[in-house]
Amino acid sequence: MRTMSARWATLLVLLLPLAHAMAKDRIPRLPSGKPDFSGIWQTTSAADFDLEPHSARKDAPPGPGIVAGNVIPYLPAALEQKQRNFEHGDVEDPRLKCWTLGTPRGIYYPEPFQVFQRDRDVTLVFQFGQSVRTIHTNGTLHPQATDNEFYLGDSRGHWEGDTLVVDVTDFNEETWLDRAGNFHSPQLHVVERWSLLDPDTLQYRATLEDPNVFSRPWDIEVILNRHREPNFQLIENYCFTLDFDQYYPVPKQ
Amino acid sequence: MGQRNSFTRDVLLLVASVVASQAHAQQAQQPGGNTIYIETKVTPIASGKWTGARLRDGQPDVQGFWSNTIANHSNWTDPQGGVPGDPNPRARAKGPREERAPSRVSDPPDGEVPFQPWARAKQQEFLANFHNPTRPEYVEPLARCAPAGVPKTFTWHGFEIRQYPQYALLMFDSGWRIIHLDGKPHLPDSIKLWNADSRGHWEGNTLVVDVTNNNAKARLGRTGEFFSDNVHIEERYVFDNNGQRFNYVATITDPTVFTRPWTATIPVRRYTEKDTPDGWHYEVTAANTTNGALLHEKYERICIENNGPFGQVAVTPTRK
Repeated sequence: MRTMSARWATLLVLLLPLAHAMAKDRIPRLPSGKPDFSGIWQTTSAADFDLEPHSARKDAPPGPGIVAGNVIPYLPAALEQKQRNFEHGDVEDPRLKCWTLGTPRGIYYPEPFQVFQRDRDVTLVFQFGQSVRTIHTNGTLHPQATDNEFYLGDSRGHWEGDTLVVDVTDFNEETWLDRAGNFHSPQLHVVERWSLLDPDTLQYRATLEDPNVFSRPWDIEVILNRHREPNFQLIENYCFTLDFDQYYPVPKQ
Repeated sequence: MGQRNSFTRDVLLLVASVVASQAHAQQAQQPGGNTIYIETKVTPIASGKWTGARLRDGQPDVQGFWSNTIANHSNWTDPQGGVPGDPNPRARAKGPREERAPSRVSDPPDGEVPFQPWARAKQQEFLANFHNPTRPEYVEPLARCAPAGVPKTFTWHGFEIRQYPQYALLMFDSGWRIIHLDGKPHLPDSIKLWNADSRGHWEGNTLVVDVTNNNAKARLGRTGEFFSDNVHIEERYVFDNNGQRFNYVATITDPTVFTRPWTATIPVRRYTEKDTPDGWHYEVTAANTTNGALLHEKYERICIENNGPFGQVAVTPTRK
C-alpha cells in the first residue's frame, strides 16, 4: 500500500505542472491571440477595508492584507496623515460621497466591474459610481499635457506575453486607497500587471510609488473571480444621487 | 479635471447656439465642413439593409464618437428656442419658429407631447419654476450630475459607442449604458435605474433596443417634460450606410402620463478626424501617438461638480 501511495504521489507531482499548463491553455483569447479578460469580476478579499493585515474591527472584517511585506512604507509626515484619515474615515472616506474610487481601489472594492476588450483598448465599467476607465493598448503614450488630474489616472497598457502591463499616471488627490485612510498624492504612479490564472480567475498585481507619500515603491496582489451566476449583470449604482433622491418622486396625478 | 468647467462651456454653448440659430437659421450645413455646430433639419434615414463594415460577431460597426446635431436639452419641443422665460435676453429665441429645428416629438404631427391634463400641469409647474427654483425638486437632476437618463442623454454632450460580442456600450458625459444583445431577460421590475435596463438586437441597419426599469426621475429637458416609472421605450437607432449619421427614434409608451404613445426623433452625426473638437459635441483630445497619426480619444468622464446656476441653489449636503 505504501508503495502504491508513493507511486500515486509521484504521479500527482508529475502531473501538477501539466494541469497548471492546461489551465493556462484554456484561458479565453481574442482572435489576435491576446488573453481575453472580458467578463464581470469581483474580489472576495477584505482589501478595501484595509490594505494592510488587520484584526476584526467594528468597521471591518479581519483580513490578511494584500501588501507585500505587510506594511505600506509611508514617509513620516504621510504616516501621520494616514492616521488622521483612519480616525476620521467614517466621514471623510471619498467612498461615502460615492465619488469615483480611483485606481487601484476600484479593482478591489467589493462591487463588480465589467471588462470589455478590443485590440485597441480594455474598458473597465465599474458598478459603483459612474466611472469608466479605458486602458489604451494601441501604442499611444500618456498625454503630453502634464497638468491632467484624473480620478482614475491615465492608463496605457502593453502585453508582455500573456500579461497586460499598464502604466497609470496623471492622478488627482481626491481618492483614497481603502477605508482605512491609506492615501496618495497627485504624484502617484501605478504599474499594474493583469493575467488570467485560469478562465475564471484574474490575478491583479500592482506596484505603487509616490515620492510625496511613500519611502519606496510597494506591491499589492489580489485575486478577482468571474461572476458566473446565470444572467448576471451590472446594476448601475450612481449612489451619489441618493443624497437628493428624495426630491424627485415621480410626479403623480 | 473631469468636467469641472463643463457648466461654463454649456452656458457659453447654449448662448452661442441660440445666437447661432438666429444668425444662421437659413444657412444650410456646409457639406464637408469641419463642425456640426447646429442644424435646423433632420436628415431622413430609411430602415433597411446594412451594407457597411461589420464586426467579427456580425454587428454593423458603428463604433466611434457621436453627437446630436440640433441642440442641448434646454427645450424638448423647440430645441433651438431656449428655455421659455429665460431672464437672460440673449438666451431667448427670436424670429419665427419655422427657422429653428423641429420639435423632437415627431409623432404626433403637431410636435407636442400628448400629456394627460394633470401631467401637462406638472410639466408647466416645473418650467415655471426652472429659472428661479425655490424648492429642491425644481432643480433639474442633471444639474446635480445625475445621469441624464433615457432619452435625454442623447441631447446632452457628445457620446461614444463601443461594441463587443453580445454588447454595445454607450458612454455618456453623465454615466454609461450597457445594451445587452444576448437575449437575457430584463431585470426584475422592482429595480429602477436612471439609465434604465436595455435589451437590444440588430435589424439590418437598425439597432432596436427595448428599455424598461426606468426610474423616471431625470426629466426630458429643462422644460420639464417627464414620464412615469411605468414607461416603456422602444428605441430604434437607424444608421445611415455611409456611417456618418444615425437617427435616434424612440417610441415612448406610458398610459399613466400620456394619452397615446408618442415618438421622439433625435438626429446624430459622427465625429471624424476632419471635425474640430469643440468641448461639447466632441469632447475629444488628440492622442499622443508615436507615428504622428491623428487619433482622437476621450479623457475620463466624471461629473461631480457640475453644480452651476441651474443647480447651485441646492447643493447636496455631502458636497461642499
